[in-house]
Amino acid sequence: MNTKETDMNTTPKSMTAATSPDVAPATPALEAREVEVTYGTGDTAKTVLRGLNVTVNPGEFVCIVGPSGVGKTTLLRCLSGLLRPTAGEIRVVGRTINAPPEEIAVVFQDYSRSLLPWMTALKNVALPLKGRGVAKAQREAKAREVLATVGLGDAADKYPWQLSGGMQQRVAIARALAYDARILVMDEPFASVDAQTRFELEDLVLELRDRLNISVVLVTHDIDEAVYLSDRVVVLANSPASVIDTVEIGLPFPRDQIETKGLHEFAELRGRILGEILQSRKAPK
Amino acid sequence: MSIAHRLRNILAEAWLPVSLVALWWLVSAGSTSLYFPPLAEIVAVGWRDFTVGPLVDYAAFSLTNLAAGLAIAIFVGVVAGVILGSYAPLRDAVNPYLQFIRSVPQVALVPLIIGALGIGALPKIWSISFACVWPILLNTIDGVKGIDPALGDFSKSYRLSRRTHFLDMVLPAALPQIVPGVRTALAIGVIVMVVSEIYGADSGLGYYILQSGRNFAVAETWAGTIIVGLLGYLLSRLFEVFEHFALKWHRESSAEARSRT
Repeated sequence: MNTKETDMNTTPKSMTAATSPDVAPATPALEAREVEVTYGTGDTAKTVLRGLNVTVNPGEFVCIVGPSGVGKTTLLRCLSGLLRPTAGEIRVVGRTINAPPEEIAVVFQDYSRSLLPWMTALKNVALPLKGRGVAKAQREAKAREVLATVGLGDAADKYPWQLSGGMQQRVAIARALAYDARILVMDEPFASVDAQTRFELEDLVLELRDRLNISVVLVTHDIDEAVYLSDRVVVLANSPASVIDTVEIGLPFPRDQIETKGLHEFAELRGRILGEILQSRKAPK
Repeated sequence: MSIAHRLRNILAEAWLPVSLVALWWLVSAGSTSLYFPPLAEIVAVGWRDFTVGPLVDYAAFSLTNLAAGLAIAIFVGVVAGVILGSYAPLRDAVNPYLQFIRSVPQVALVPLIIGALGIGALPKIWSISFACVWPILLNTIDGVKGIDPALGDFSKSYRLSRRTHFLDMVLPAALPQIVPGVRTALAIGVIVMVVSEIYGADSGLGYYILQSGRNFAVAETWAGTIIVGLLGYLLSRLFEVFEHFALKWHRESSAEARSRT
């Protein structure tokens, strides 16, 4: 990838300004401000998130990590506009949102539940464009194009159940790309594929981020994955959950599964985040 | 599948009915009983009425009513089922009435419907659709209710229109439940089709059966009954073929999901 090399020497911050001419550098792509989410009312009310702040700059890759059950998926539902926070606000390019905005495409956790088994890969990928009123021929042309982008040019006419888990997740990613979103929101997207496929998909998403200049927010419980992918890692902990740390990942791009993970800094960052999560679990709530 | 294999399957399915018919033919040959005429006579009379008699017109009348009644039942059952399946408060409000109406024997309502609407095809179509709508409606409600909420999230986050959401997602997702409902409705429809022609009719297979029975033309009565039975069988086989293709994705994807776990 040629684009990778140009990005290699730039830090995430400077990339922010360079890659988004239509957005002032000061305006984050996606922002959670003092978000609070409470489920239920009265005695059974449970506050899951409180005073939560997350900022994702244009072109930035941010991972959200935290112990399981901390409220990562709840936060992601807020960020994607699917859930309205009880208090605080979500802003997309400076605009407060109350419903899913067109700038965001979501890749859901379980591809086998989010891909439609009665449609071919092509139809699945083309479906979101229907919401945009794109004509059928253009929808399918676009779908073919993005399927080729994720390396599935030959699988357009296959049904999801004819594809391996990794390929199905590629279709789900292609579907998000076809939507032409500026921000990709992913909920543990690689949790149900084998390790090798997982590495391939991680590199695919990094490459797509570079090539398409999109922002990515990815929730994971895998700290290695978070450090490997991110410009910044947001660590959630406690109950109700809040951000206990935001870790700048200064590791050089392009990242490499063997080289990057062999770096001393990688081990340090990983250790720091893991330590924080373990510490938060020991601390009394 | 090889031809020999296919042939063996057909034989395995056909030997019993074929031998039963042969047995009936032999045992009934020369029968002088008024109520059990020889099968040879039944077939001859049936053939006569089919080729030069009124049976083709009667069958066309009956099948048209069945098709129209079933079409109305499918449309109403699926549309109402999708609405009730999607909105829980509405479903809870209507559910007791649904459970009550489905328990009412639909066939018993036929004289009432025909009495109220008079003779002709229309009251028969209404009788059929009123009887057929319940299994379709209840199955559609169940199917829509059971849809993975992830699909709703997907539609919302990709800002799909309501129309796309229902036509491209909810309807196909509920189809594996809707189709068995239609299959049940088809069997009910054949019965109500015949019963509806016993009252205030001047055409149809049910009319043929009733008229011949009244005139003690028992061979005709038997012929009509056998024709209805054969039609019902044929329709259900046709439906199986439709089901095979319409739900191929469902069979294959469930098989794939099972093999994964």
